[in-house]
Amino acid sequence: MKALFPRAGFAAGALLLFAAPFLTANPFYQRVAALTLLAAISASAWNVIGGYAGQVSFGHSVYFGIGAYAALLAYAKLGWPPIAGLPFGIVASFALSIVVGLPSFRLRGHYFSMATIAIAALAGILVTNWDFVGGAIGVMGPARARSFADLLFRSSLPYYAIFLCVLAILLLFTRLLQKSRMGFYLRAIGSDERVAQSLGVPVRRYKLYALLISGAFTSIAGTLYAVMVGFVDPNSGFGILISVNMVVMAALGGAGTLFGPLIGAAILVPLGEATNALWGARGIAYVAYGVIIMLLARFSPGGLAELGRFIVKGWRRRAA
Amino acid sequence: MLLEARGIVKTFGNVRAVDGADLAVEEGELVGLIGPNGAGKSTFFDCLAGNLAPEAGSIRFAGLESTRLSPDRHARLGLARTFQVPVVFAGMTVLENAMVGAFLRHESRARAAQKAAEALEFTGLAGQAEMPAAALGTAGRKRLGIARALATEPRLLLLDEALAGLTSSEIETAIGLLARIHARGITLLVVEHIMEVIHRLTRRVLVFHQGRVIAEGSPAEVTANPEVIRAYLGRRAKRGEA
Amino acid sequence: MILLQLAADGLLLGAVYALFSSGLTLIWGMMNVVNFAHGDFVMLAMYIAFFSFTLLKLEPIVFVPLAAVLLFALGGLVYYALVRHVMRGPMLAQILSTFGLALFLRYTALWAFSANFVSLPSGLVGGVYDLGGLRLAASHLIAGFSALLLTLGLHLLLTRTDLGSRMLAVSEDRVAAELVGVRPDPMQALAWGLGAAATGVAGALIALFFYVSPEVGNSFLLLAFVTVCLGGFGSVPGALLAGVAIGVIESFSAYWLGPATKDAVVLALFILLLWVRPQGLFGRA
Repeated sequence: MKALFPRAGFAAGALLLFAAPFLTANPFYQRVAALTLLAAISASAWNVIGGYAGQVSFGHSVYFGIGAYAALLAYAKLGWPPIAGLPFGIVASFALSIVVGLPSFRLRGHYFSMATIAIAALAGILVTNWDFVGGAIGVMGPARARSFADLLFRSSLPYYAIFLCVLAILLLFTRLLQKSRMGFYLRAIGSDERVAQSLGVPVRRYKLYALLISGAFTSIAGTLYAVMVGFVDPNSGFGILISVNMVVMAALGGAGTLFGPLIGAAILVPLGEATNALWGARGIAYVAYGVIIMLLARFSPGGLAELGRFIVKGWRRRAA
Repeated sequence: MLLEARGIVKTFGNVRAVDGADLAVEEGELVGLIGPNGAGKSTFFDCLAGNLAPEAGSIRFAGLESTRLSPDRHARLGLARTFQVPVVFAGMTVLENAMVGAFLRHESRARAAQKAAEALEFTGLAGQAEMPAAALGTAGRKRLGIARALATEPRLLLLDEALAGLTSSEIETAIGLLARIHARGITLLVVEHIMEVIHRLTRRVLVFHQGRVIAEGSPAEVTANPEVIRAYLGRRAKRGEA
Repeated sequence: MILLQLAADGLLLGAVYALFSSGLTLIWGMMNVVNFAHGDFVMLAMYIAFFSFTLLKLEPIVFVPLAAVLLFALGGLVYYALVRHVMRGPMLAQILSTFGLALFLRYTALWAFSANFVSLPSGLVGGVYDLGGLRLAASHLIAGFSALLLTLGLHLLLTRTDLGSRMLAVSEDRVAAELVGVRPDPMQALAWGLGAAATGVAGALIALFFYVSPEVGNSFLLLAFVTVCLGGFGSVPGALLAGVAIGVIESFSAYWLGPATKDAVVLALFILLLWVRPQGLFGRA
């Protein structure tokens, strides 16, 4: 009974929280809620390679950009509804993982992170100078819905519902992964590659699996973003801050935990939107991000998840 | 012959860490590899386990040419190893650590957990199974290293200084454990730099010095070997000067 | 003639790259920590130069050393307050710590100084000289030669002095160094201080001929990565060679391929190099 109660209470609370946007009529809150889930999708996708497998990528913006561009190019070049670009984004993300990701796995720790920063910067420059994909100007989506398939809604609620489904699928998938051999292998790789390999873990192969999954879901997040916003340019698709958001959210909630990225997103997206609304500047939010990350790295590298466990432990000890 | 290495050479810059080393281990043996610090034992060890690729020479394991196989291929073939510095997967429990090893031969989670639990039982860690691995002390970490390696169900276990840094009572326990592992039919190659420990454990010892095996025989034979004495004393004399 | 001109421009610029990359490579070689805020250290030094001149009317001969001193203090502070506590922790914490610092510095600068590009007056240290057909700006000459001298000085400090050998002792074996009476923390803080000071001088020198903006650090960070990687991680002479090489490559690719793609050339080179030779072109395996 004792064990059951918190779990049921937690589930009820979560349900209420996820239903909340349907209970408010305020479009701003609804939009923030939708953006929170979108950020949670990309941060959770990053978490597969960055959290579980411990390969800290600052280049995931490339996957996000690929997904976003795939959607809007499907519309601009072929006249298809943007969402039809989704499979193209996924296929391109697979290609990127194999061609660019695989050789980068020779690098460990800092070196891997450095390479990903450079790859993202290079991708940004290439897209900016490639006229076929709109160069520095970017690509627009449909201005008015031609059919339902364009998924163009005035309210944020339909997007919220879509994002919720995708996030649920991703988290369910991650949960299964966590329980399986692959989940153990990824965590072992993240902890110590050499030891993992000595125990028979084919390190490069499993890193590639993780990147394929992580990159595909990040590209889906990019596609969904483009469907909702209807516009992408090199900065909003490939900018370094897109990667930064994923890393910071996952790290704040707890990298390598199931719900960590969602929790991180639920704190940071509203914070960002609030500072944006109050001071009309995004920059302030990033000053706060910087401070938060430094504090995390210094005091609680496992994020809020670690801090939470620590507090619960202390509380139990006092209760006992 | 379960493991056979011939003419292994590995250099770092100008240093020839391993310089034409040979070694042969029969199935079911318990062989000690000793030598003063800096003799190149660990580098040789890394070559045998596939962690380093030697520049020259060849290694055969279980009848297969294994010189350039990756460490995970070695593990699959039945060669497991521990590390000198006992690293644990810090984010996992003790049981989960051992499960990583057990997953090599069992894909199902339940089977892997069962095999891992057996390995913990065998190494005397069953009581700590649910503890975070990071909470273990040095002796516990070393034992977990062995448990994890055993969970891969190896034919040959390479132990890199499994006893270094332990107290004398912990060493007693560890020696008992190694004897029991050997009794299970697992071949052991034990690297140590303390001769006294090796004496009690094995009947065949190889002495490693300046990148190669300089003597071989029973513990009594090698300790009486003048070349071995010179290798160990020379080291001490040099240290005395510094 | 144009080739000679491009080579000369590249060499002078490359010397400055070498100086700020030495700062990164020093910290790296000493403690295996990458400073992801390195580019933002350059940015800070550039703003120090800019405001020293515009607000305090200080001359370059004053503000370049000033930038060195301030950045030295910043480096020491960052070591004691942040890096010391994470350098033996999990990889994620190591990477995030200086990355968080980078975000903090960059966006504080954005907030305080706005996103506008500013620059020092172009004739601050003399005009453009014509040397037998070669047109060289005094600012480039001064920056290039001071950077060259300081990089060599840093190398000599590390290899020829007692202080340098104590710093190297700590980097090789912290525990052993402690046994022979060298306290590791002050030495590593000193490495951070020196690395940051070298970066400070480089930043102030770059400000003589390059615009300043809060986001300018990102491209310098990538340049420093490329240089350090090419020169071998932890090697100051390697950084010098590599910095000059990259300056020249940039200068030529900007001429042949246009300024927009010069960064792409250097980045592509960097990625290929990391894939093929992770230990650096001049570095040892």
